[in-house]
Amino acid sequence: MKHYLVIQLARFGDLIQTKRLLASLCAKEGAFVHLCVDASLESLARLVYPDVTVHPIAAHGTGLHGTEAINAMLVDNRRAFVELKAIDFDTIYNLNFSPLNFRLAALFNPDRVEGYSWNNGQEIVGLWPTMAMRWSDQRRIGINLVDFWAGYCPDMIKPEDVNPIAEPKGGGIGVVLAGRESRRSLPLDILSQITSTVVSSHKADTVYLLGGNAEIAAGQSVLKQLPSSVQGKVENLAGKTSWDDLVEIVGSLDMLITPDTGTMHLAAHLGTPVSAFFLSSAWCFETGPYGVGHTVYQAITECLPCLETQACNYDLKCLNCFSDPSFQRFLVTGKPEHAPKNLLTFASDFDDLGQTYIPIAGNDPDAGQRMKFREFIRQYLMGNGGAVSDLDSLFAQRIYRDRDWITQPEPGSTLGL
Amino acid sequence: MKKLRILVVLPLYGGSLPIGRYVASALRAEGHLVEVFEAPEFNSAYDSLKDLKVTTDRLDYLQNSFLNVVSQSVLAKVETFEPDLVFAMAQAPLNHQALKRLKRDGVTTCMWFVEDFRLFTYWKSFAPFYDVFAIIQKEPFISELAAIGQPNAIYLPLAAQPDFHKPIDLTSVEQRKFGSDISFMGAGYPNRRIAFRELVNHDFKIWGTEWDGDHVLEPLVQMKGARVTPEECVKIFNASKINLNLHSSIQADELVTYGDFINPRTFELAACGAFQLVDKRQLMPEAFEDDELATFDSIEELSEKINYFLSNPNECEAVIQKAQTRVLSEHTYQKRMKTLLEFTAERIEGWPQQNDPAESFSVDYPPELAAEIQQRIGSLGLPENVSFTDLVWAVRQQQGSLSELDTAILFLDEWQKLYAKRA
Repeated sequence: MKHYLVIQLARFGDLIQTKRLLASLCAKEGAFVHLCVDASLESLARLVYPDVTVHPIAAHGTGLHGTEAINAMLVDNRRAFVELKAIDFDTIYNLNFSPLNFRLAALFNPDRVEGYSWNNGQEIVGLWPTMAMRWSDQRRIGINLVDFWAGYCPDMIKPEDVNPIAEPKGGGIGVVLAGRESRRSLPLDILSQITSTVVSSHKADTVYLLGGNAEIAAGQSVLKQLPSSVQGKVENLAGKTSWDDLVEIVGSLDMLITPDTGTMHLAAHLGTPVSAFFLSSAWCFETGPYGVGHTVYQAITECLPCLETQACNYDLKCLNCFSDPSFQRFLVTGKPEHAPKNLLTFASDFDDLGQTYIPIAGNDPDAGQRMKFREFIRQYLMGNGGAVSDLDSLFAQRIYRDRDWITQPEPGSTLGL
Repeated sequence: MKKLRILVVLPLYGGSLPIGRYVASALRAEGHLVEVFEAPEFNSAYDSLKDLKVTTDRLDYLQNSFLNVVSQSVLAKVETFEPDLVFAMAQAPLNHQALKRLKRDGVTTCMWFVEDFRLFTYWKSFAPFYDVFAIIQKEPFISELAAIGQPNAIYLPLAAQPDFHKPIDLTSVEQRKFGSDISFMGAGYPNRRIAFRELVNHDFKIWGTEWDGDHVLEPLVQMKGARVTPEECVKIFNASKINLNLHSSIQADELVTYGDFINPRTFELAACGAFQLVDKRQLMPEAFEDDELATFDSIEELSEKINYFLSNPNECEAVIQKAQTRVLSEHTYQKRMKTLLEFTAERIEGWPQQNDPAESFSVDYPPELAAEIQQRIGSLGLPENVSFTDLVWAVRQQQGSLSELDTAILFLDEWQKLYAKRA
């Protein structure tokens, strides 16, 4: 019997994207898998991962002030830490590059911590996340976050065993109003047009507008902008859904229209087909929907993917492909010749390493390089060599550093498997 | 004075290394939050460069590069720890570039130059880069420092560390190993080699390094001339009837030099309650009264006094008591540090900086944890009213995996930085 702990202190979407790692650990013989999350995600974590023991702690900033915050941090967290410390974890997978994760790792022997550990007061970054940081300037060819996190576990389950094949469930269409990062979301007028087109072409009877409290007004605005023939089918659920409600509704849909959001990952987890719109800093090869049966509309201007933290100097030109009138036509016909410029449309698919996307319209200029990079990473993770590509040496020089093999590895820094 | 955050930078090796550790301990005892830069851990790597058998210019380059990395490591520690004072011991691995950077960043620095300025002249290169320069000699050193641009020199004689340099009970085995009628602990400087030849007819043990090649004294040298640890020193001091304390000199023609500074052994022996015969020094009268130390000013006098005190052990006891009382009241590292910090506050305008109330974060600990947190503060050796920031750093200094409470404290600190302060 072995206990494994995954520390995932990030947001809704990240929690769902931890699934392949958690499922891989659960698949080990005699494994007891534990998951440490922010308390706000506790009930969702229990819904999504019923076979995993959830340990909530106070880690996010929302809604806590003064004494209340200090109580949560010291009293509640300490209680949770007592529980965690009492378990003899075989391995702790600490997934987030955050000072909070480093501090939490202080509870454990650093030799047992993968990812971000704490060694006698020093923050230590393991080799696998260090490698990921080194390829972060090559985001166009990067790998899916679900697969990256699963990469901590040498015997990860096959990608096709993570999520069900996405199929329509008969419950209508869901529309996610906005993501956490505003620039990644479509403006409401464009979203309204897309919604209207999709609802009409699919002859949908029911449409749910989904979002948190912050999107209530956005929901009302979208509703107003829809043709009256569609308005009657729409229910604005922004700010009205609990995690249970959201899981139930998303799990019943024929399709979810969404930017890169946590709800999108939830739909993929539940096997609900996703039509996702990726632009700005959102890049589907990093955080696209996991599974087979999803469609991604990826803007592909030369400035993408950008950084959300940096101002856009290009007048948000990555939006143009979605506002182009031909896009509405393309949504209906799906014919590549109808697709607007600077848009790539993908169908989700798998290779040995994990999630990938096959172009169904448009030309993916990075496909060749990406394939070679994936093979390079696959060899690193799985240890079985294929043919060396002409780019392997370049990748190796970018992603490995001399100290990776010259010096004694830091805890959790195993090179290769 | 407010409780300070002090980074003590140790040298890679050498005589000032144990003194640096006493300094850190004394500063902690004064209630300051002390972080130590453990330079000795870099020493073996540095030494290994010398075994490369490469051209001298390559070796020079490699050694400079290595020391640059060590210097940069000190800077990185300063950046994280944000000390009120960087306290460098003599030979601390801080190069010019690092010292300039500290000055530019407004970090107050001091060096305790526990060396003879006439023999170790490298102070001319570094002294102007420190804000305060503590020394174990007076004039003309102080004027010479002023002349090269170091106006903040302070005479700070060496001292003893009473929780280490103290009377101890020795086992019979230890007494046999470390005990003798007379002993000397120190390196084989030329003046000592000649002076001690007169004493070979006594039950005499010599401890320390650099005695090889002396056929007369070699049979008396213990542990084959190996380096003696500070712990072993204390045992030798306690086990010997008479501890000889002859200050070193590279001159062989003048055995008792009547030099200025007082060596650390003088204070350490006194604190141990051990009897010593020490050569007279110029700066001795202001540290000890005549009857507080048994002194000599020639080798003839040394010989006479050895015979006298071996025959009159009760006489030794009176001197021991007086010397010990004086050292414990005036010549401890704790006293020295207090003096140094007061001097720094006097000379460096605006030092120590008062905490910006907006930056300092006070915590009203939850009642159910208050007692436990106070207990933890106590066990970390911190004052009851310690700031949360200092508590966090003290927790961070702990080794190994941490307790739940320590982890919760670190977690709260980072959470505050991420969310509360931003808000």
